[in-house]
Parts: sequence; structure tokens; C-alpha cells
Amino acid sequence: MASSNILSYIIFVYFGAFMLYLMMMVMRKEVFGRIATVVAGLGLLAHSLAIVLRWVESYKLDMGHAPFSNLYESLVFFAWTIMFLYLLVEFRTRNKTLGAFATPLAFLAMAYASFSPNISSGIQPLIPALKSNWLIAHVVTCFFGYAAFGLSFGLSVMYLIKRREAVGAGNGFMKLIPQPLVLDDLNYQMVVIGFLLLTLGIITGSVWAHSAWGSYWTWDPKETWSLITWLVYASVLHSRLVRGWRGKKIAVLAMAGFTCVLFTYFGVNYLSGLHSYATF
Amino acid sequence: MMAAETKIEKKSSSVWSLFSSVKLTIALLIVLAVASIVGTLVPQREEAVGFARNLSPAMLEFFRSLNLFDMYHAFWFRLLIGLLALNLLVCSIDRFPHTWKRFRARPSPDRKKPFEGLPESQTALVQGNLEDAAQRVSRLLGNRYKRLQTKEDKDGRYFSADKGRYAYFGVYVVHLSVLIIIIGALIGSFFGFEGYANILEGDAVSSVALRKGGAPMDLGFTVRCDDFSVEFYKNGAPKEYRSDVTFLVDGKEAEKAKLLVNHPATFRGVTFYQASYGKAPGEKVSLDITRTASKPQVTKMDVKKGEWAPLPGEEGKFQVSEVDSNLMGVMGPAAMISIQPKQGQETRFWIFQDREKLEKRFPGMMTQNPKLNASAFKPYTFSLSNLESKYYTGLQVNRDPGVSVVWLGCFLMVAGFFVAFFTSHRRIWVRLAEEKGALRLSVAGVASKNPVGLERELERLTSDLAHLSGEGEK
Repeated sequence: MASSNILSYIIFVYFGAFMLYLMMMVMRKEVFGRIATVVAGLGLLAHSLAIVLRWVESYKLDMGHAPFSNLYESLVFFAWTIMFLYLLVEFRTRNKTLGAFATPLAFLAMAYASFSPNISSGIQPLIPALKSNWLIAHVVTCFFGYAAFGLSFGLSVMYLIKRREAVGAGNGFMKLIPQPLVLDDLNYQMVVIGFLLLTLGIITGSVWAHSAWGSYWTWDPKETWSLITWLVYASVLHSRLVRGWRGKKIAVLAMAGFTCVLFTYFGVNYLSGLHSYATF
Repeated sequence: MMAAETKIEKKSSSVWSLFSSVKLTIALLIVLAVASIVGTLVPQREEAVGFARNLSPAMLEFFRSLNLFDMYHAFWFRLLIGLLALNLLVCSIDRFPHTWKRFRARPSPDRKKPFEGLPESQTALVQGNLEDAAQRVSRLLGNRYKRLQTKEDKDGRYFSADKGRYAYFGVYVVHLSVLIIIIGALIGSFFGFEGYANILEGDAVSSVALRKGGAPMDLGFTVRCDDFSVEFYKNGAPKEYRSDVTFLVDGKEAEKAKLLVNHPATFRGVTFYQASYGKAPGEKVSLDITRTASKPQVTKMDVKKGEWAPLPGEEGKFQVSEVDSNLMGVMGPAAMISIQPKQGQETRFWIFQDREKLEKRFPGMMTQNPKLNASAFKPYTFSLSNLESKYYTGLQVNRDPGVSVVWLGCFLMVAGFFVAFFTSHRRIWVRLAEEKGALRLSVAGVASKNPVGLERELERLTSDLAHLSGEGEK
């Protein structure tokens, strides 16, 4: 299929963007950053086209569904949301250093989708339970939430590196990274956006589960892990807003939160439950 | 007496301060998260049986005493949720008066502190007379902000106004929404039920089995499955399945409905969901009976399950006593033949529709085991030519009066988030003072959050105000 071919090239485009962002930081030359942004932007454009194409292809195969229905498609969409959100943040903040921490996430998601022997890239028919208008709302909110948490993870790593560099003798390698205070603030914004979207994702999932299975909450492992993730980020927000925690503590908590996101996404596949169609 | 009273007061106030602390909230959130992790690792409910078998008796006792096999319904887990709800409530009550005060507060227009260290971009020199300029400032502020206050003294004019003070309540809406969702869930668990029913095409039921076990639940009406159909994709996976059902009250048809996955139907507060389907054997069984005397003679017979019929050679009678559309999950359609000869013992054995396939797959099994030997009663050989099969529809049958309360809570939660995170209370102060024959305009402000956004707004406001007054000059 044309769409999977395009998508397999995009892996290398994102890897290239990642390398360029790294070169910008190592050599401290803005020009690499500018090229990186162009490469990432073109990659995202091709990525979007491939997703639309896949959607059209599914209609040609007489299955006709949004490309969000198995692990391959969800990984492709996850990478897309990360790149989209990252470029939005880059545009807003005018700082490109997060690129070196965000593009590898998108690259890894795409590479995993294409190279893992357990993941089939074919378009599969939709099982009756997935035939619902809630599919798109649920998947879009969840994955934009995951992407925001992914960027928050990148910012937390940047914060910890920057802080260490500020304490020890700086070699200038991380000079382009914004000040810790700016990172901390941006990290908080990402957590807020991710938390709101995760909440919407859980709610749309509940409404859907209620119409498909008759129960809005069944404590199935995926539901439970999304609640665990929600609880962790709720405690991040409370410790920051009420207890006034900043900096390192928040960075570490946000990283723990993203670990929960990853487990909600992948780890749960090793436990049985209603979301089993997302396993392969 | 007095001493005892203060002691009680102190005690209750220490309980109060415990429940009004955010430390407790964070601790509870983390404990709930960890407990939930345990619940996803230990198999729950139906799946727990295999896991429990491998546990030592002491471990089993430990797991059982903590109700770990149905953890999310365990008393201690509910208690944790209850504590979180209480914590939420106490925190909100504890902090509300302070918030209310901030909501009501009207700072005086002539405060000096907001203007300390005012950046260049928030001040301007404008032409014109003080009276006109003050009027224009008043009008603009009145349009853009609320609760405009003015004051004047010999040094100049002072204005204060604000907007978005409802932002303070966003967090209360979010916390209230959590309580509403918990209440909705409680209503569902006290006044609702979760059941299921498998109904054969053409059959009707008036009670359903409950998920939690116990006696079947009487619906107070009857539901009949008129028709069931399923469509498949080319690869054999089900594409769509649907049931046409009729609800009957006192034997009279009251309503018809189509049930599809994701498209449930509700009758008298009970909702029916298309959950699964399967095949079940019907009543009609077609047999080929071979009687080998001098030469084999084949008799074709259609019999109904459970009805006795004479053997073709009159040696006795027989019946099909059991049928199974897929015996033991691998053997395919099967029927049990019971033969009662005129003299002697009853003989029973299974016969299979896919006999030839089974003989290849399990060589020798059919002849060695008398229970599977179709020629066990001499001189007859029975074979199953067709077993009527019918679809049954698997319906999830629920009543949950708390659902709308839960949705209300969800809606409030999202609305509350928007207010809490994306709006802020912005208070602004404007000062007009005469300076070297012109007017000095200064703009200052305070926001409850998003200082960058406020700065941008103040810069724009300053330029708008300066522009306005400048134009008035010409």
C-alpha cells in the first residue's frame, strides 16, 4: 500500500530532523536548527498525507474506517501528534532545543510501528465494537494527551540536564537550552494540556463503553491504567499549584507520569482486557 | 468541663486539619494509584480462578482476606475513595471563605503598589486636558472590564477595574464534579443492576442472570428475539450483528427494537446491549439408521430431541437424549442416542455429524470407546446427517439510574478545567497625572495566573489608551 510505503520513509525523515536538532545544539549553529525545522515540517506534511491516503485506501478496500484501529495505526498517529504538537510549541516559544528531545519520540514510535515483527501494517476490518462515532473523538483526545505528556517528559529531561550543567562546570553543550525557570513553566503548561486531554479521552471512552458494552467503567486494565496516569498527573498539578513544588520534583514526577502513559499504551497489552484489539 | 470541651475542640480541629491538607490528597492519590496497579496485576473476578489455584493456602488466605480477587469492589478500596471524597469536601469548605473574600474584594483605585517598577511599555505621555482624557479612559475601561471605580485628588485621576473573577471558582467546580461522579456511581451500584441473557431466535425471557451472581432478576416484562442476523468480512471476522426484539407486557406487544453493537435500546428504564452471539442446537435431529441383517438397510428419520421412537426393526425404542452444536469445543455437532431394548440395559452413545473428519483426526477413538461407538447396539449403526442449529443473541441487560449524574459530573469537570486553567482574574489600575503640560498615563495590573498574558494585555491597553487620548488632541 502506498500509505505504508510513505510512512516507512518518514522514519528516516524524522531521524534526520533529530540529527539536525542535535547538531544545532552540539555546534551551536542556528542554521542546523532552521534546516531541522524545515525537514520536520515537510515530514509532518507527508505524514498527514499518508494518514489521509490510508483512510481513502480503507474505503477502496470496502472497510471504510478512520486509520485509528490497531497498534500500527495508533503508533503512526501517536508520532503524528508528537510532531504536530512539538512544531506548534517551537513556533510559539521560538526555541528549537526541545526538538532534540521530541523528534526521537516520534522517530521511535514510527520505527517500532514499521520494524516490529509483531505489528501488522495492513488495513484490517473494523470489529463491530469499534464502529462508533466515538472512535475518532476518543483516539484523538487520548493521543494528543499522550503527545503533550511526551513533550513534558522531554522538557523534564532537559530541565534535569540543564540544572546539572548549571551546578557543575558547564561545557556549553547545553547552552541553547532555555533557562530552568522557562522549562519548568513550559513543562507545567504541557502537563495541564495533557491532563485536560486525558480527561476528555477517558470521558469519551466511558461514553463509548457505555453504549457498546453497557457500562461506563469496568476496571478493565487499560481503563485502570489510564486512571492511574490521571491520578499521577493530578498529584503533579496539586503539588505544584497548592504545595508550590517547582523544578526537580515536578520534573521527576512528570517523568513518572510518562512512564504510566507508556504502560497504559503498551504494557497493558500483556494484561487481558477489553482493549485487546489494540494489541496487534 | 471547660478543659474537656477544649480538648474535644482541639481533637476535632486536628481531624479537620488532617482532612483539609493537600498532603493527604497527594498521599491518597498515590495510594489509590498503587492499589489500582495491584488490581491490574492480580487477575480479577472470573479470571482469578486459575491464578488462585497456584497459590499456597497461606497466600490464598491473605489474598482472600483483602478481597484482592475483586479488589475494586473491596471495602478498603471503597474506603480509600471515600476518604479522597471527604478530603476533597473538607479542603473545599476550608478554603472557600478565603476565595469568597478574594471574589468580593474591591481594591481601591488609588493604590500605589501595583505601579512600583512599572515597565516603559506600560506608560505614555499624552496631550489633552485631564477632564476629557479621564472620560475617555472611563469609557474604554467600562467597555473592556467590569466593576470600574474612579477616584480623583489634586495629583490626578485613578481608575481600577477587573475581569474574570469567576476564575477562582473553577477549581471548586472541578472538585464538585469528582464528588458528583462518585455519587452517580453510588446511585448506579445501589439502584441499578448488571445482567445478561442469551436468547435463542424465537424464544423469549422475562428474567436475566446477574453479573454479580445470585438469583435471576425479574424484569417485569418479557423480551423476545424475533430475528438474529450476522454479516461477515471476507476474512471471516464478524462485520455486524443485530437482533430484532419485541418487548411484551402481560403477553401484549408493547414495543419493537433493533439492537446493534454500539446501538442499544431502552425499555422501561432497562437498557439492552448487543454483546455477543453464538449457535445453539435446535430441537430437530436428522438421522440415518442402518440395520444390518442379511443386507444393510438404511432408514432416514427426523426426530425431535427427547421423544421416543421405535427402532426400525422393532427391537425396542430410542431417543435423542442430548444435543450439542460443538461437543467439548472440538468435536462439532453431536447427538446422544439412548436405546431402550425390550429386554436388558439401556445403551447410550454419542454420534457425530463430522464423523469422517474426526476419525482422521483421532484415529481409533471412535471404535475403542463404547460411548463414542455408533454401532454399539447391534445390529444398528447410527449416523447424524444434520443437527438443526439456531443463533442465540447475547444481550447485556442493565439498569443504571446514576448514568446521567455521572455525565453531568464529566461535563462539569471539563467546564471547570477550562475555567480553572485557562481563565484568570485580572485586575488593572490606570493613573492619569499632569506632567510638564501634558498627561502621564500609567497602566498596571495583577493576574491570578498567566503573567505573560497579562503583560501582553497591559501593553495593548496602554497603547490603546494613549492612542485614544492622543487623537482627542487634534
